[in-house]
Amino acid sequence: MIPRSGLLVVAAAAMIGCGSATDDRPAKWSFISATITEPSCATVNCHSQIANRAAIDLADRTNGYNDLVNRGFVIPGDTTGSSTVLKLMRGQGSLRMPPDAPLPEADITLIERWIASCQVPCDD
Amino acid sequence: MRRLIVGAVATVIAVVGFARGAAAYPQFQFSSGTNKCNQCHFSPAGGGLLSSWGRSESGDTISLGGDGGFLHGAVTLPSWVALGADIRLATTRTDDGGVESPRTAWFPMQSDLYARFAFTDAFSFYMATGVRGETRPASGFSETGVGQINTDFGTVIDRFISREHYLMWRPSATGPYARIGRFYAPYGLRFVEHIYFIRRYAGYELYNETYTASGGYVADEWELHLSAFTPPPSSFPDFFQSVGARESGGAVYYERRFIGESPVTGALAGQGRVGIGKEMTRFQAGAVGKLWFDPIKVLVLGEADLIRQEVPDASFGQNQFVSYLGPTWLPVRGVMVGAAYERFQENLSVSTTARNAYDVQLNFFPWAHFELFGFFRYQMVGQAGQPAATLFMAQLHYYL
Repeated sequence: MIPRSGLLVVAAAAMIGCGSATDDRPAKWSFISATITEPSCATVNCHSQIANRAAIDLADRTNGYNDLVNRGFVIPGDTTGSSTVLKLMRGQGSLRMPPDAPLPEADITLIERWIASCQVPCDD
Repeated sequence: MRRLIVGAVATVIAVVGFARGAAAYPQFQFSSGTNKCNQCHFSPAGGGLLSSWGRSESGDTISLGGDGGFLHGAVTLPSWVALGADIRLATTRTDDGGVESPRTAWFPMQSDLYARFAFTDAFSFYMATGVRGETRPASGFSETGVGQINTDFGTVIDRFISREHYLMWRPSATGPYARIGRFYAPYGLRFVEHIYFIRRYAGYELYNETYTASGGYVADEWELHLSAFTPPPSSFPDFFQSVGARESGGAVYYERRFIGESPVTGALAGQGRVGIGKEMTRFQAGAVGKLWFDPIKVLVLGEADLIRQEVPDASFGQNQFVSYLGPTWLPVRGVMVGAAYERFQENLSVSTTARNAYDVQLNFFPWAHFELFGFFRYQMVGQAGQPAATLFMAQLHYYL
């Protein structure tokens, strides 16, 4: 006999959602790299270590910071000067990144906050 | 003779082709009359090379006809060796609301070669090797009236990868087993499609196979898998490398099946996983449900996982949720129609970090070894006002 309560729990759990619109996540590269750019950008066809598309490796925190900041995609403290990377993520004027589905706007805003608050070095 | 030629051509394509992850079709558990994944696969947790039983089922139960045997039955291999291949050609149409949407691409998605050698009745060696697939090559796109065609064959030699290679001790199809080598630690529904959230965000991204030591017990009514894993050392060449989170840890998966004379059968599973990485630690726990309604030929599959992420350098932790729920209808032999709802919430305290996806898929198995696959996904990301993303994908799949 299949325990119906167990199946109902799985079905109900599969549809839950919650939270508020307030974002208290830290605007730090150590957090952004581990939880946003690595899972969303360092995929097998894109900015993983072995694909290294456009010579950008976002598969770990150190390489990701060096490729974004040292190559001028991110200009610390300057969101206007860093607009290329922000426009890419928002699909404004070019191919959207990531190309399979957009990042949540909350993630892009968090990255924007990190850039704005960034005083070199801001890889912490 | 014609069968041999077809087989030889397929092998050549496989050798120069393109690899994707190998996983199973959990939709066939219960619905095909088999209750355990390892009835049809050599792997104790399913996926990859088909056993002789699985090959027989692929012709007799899954497809409309044909011989599921190696080379369509033209060759009988000695019992100590098993060979196979998976080849997929795909086309995608993506629309994410950006200025360059929609985009269409045609590309070789998968080419995997499989080999299994049995040294004794209990010990065997298994390997799966191919070329990493490439949806968007850096160069070598040909613009055509039907979209972009991937013609970038120059990098094939750089993209060979061995996703799986392991030594296994398994005295019989049921009972205890142990294996060591490279493979995914058994966890979750283990769908073939790697884009499902429960694979992508739970440590089972494409080419995320780890070096794993795993053991367990498979019985008719239950199975248990315990695993310890670590990523390939960074000094290893690309042929042995992985993609995705580099974590060491452990996983447990326990499934209890409810089978008998009832027209409704199924299974419930509990699972847990710990992944410790240099930048982040992940603790996750979840449940899997499978329910087969034989009178109406519908299988419902569900999975839900809670994930706790700790990022010590940011002094911050967050809770995540990922799930899949959907029915699959198998109205007649050779046809499978599915729908699903998926959810991933990056941070359970921030509602605008959620992703919701609605999927519809059709699998058609016109003849043993052949599959036509169509998939449509409507994905909503983040907060209201963000554009939805759609994906249409079609595949021609041939397995040797």
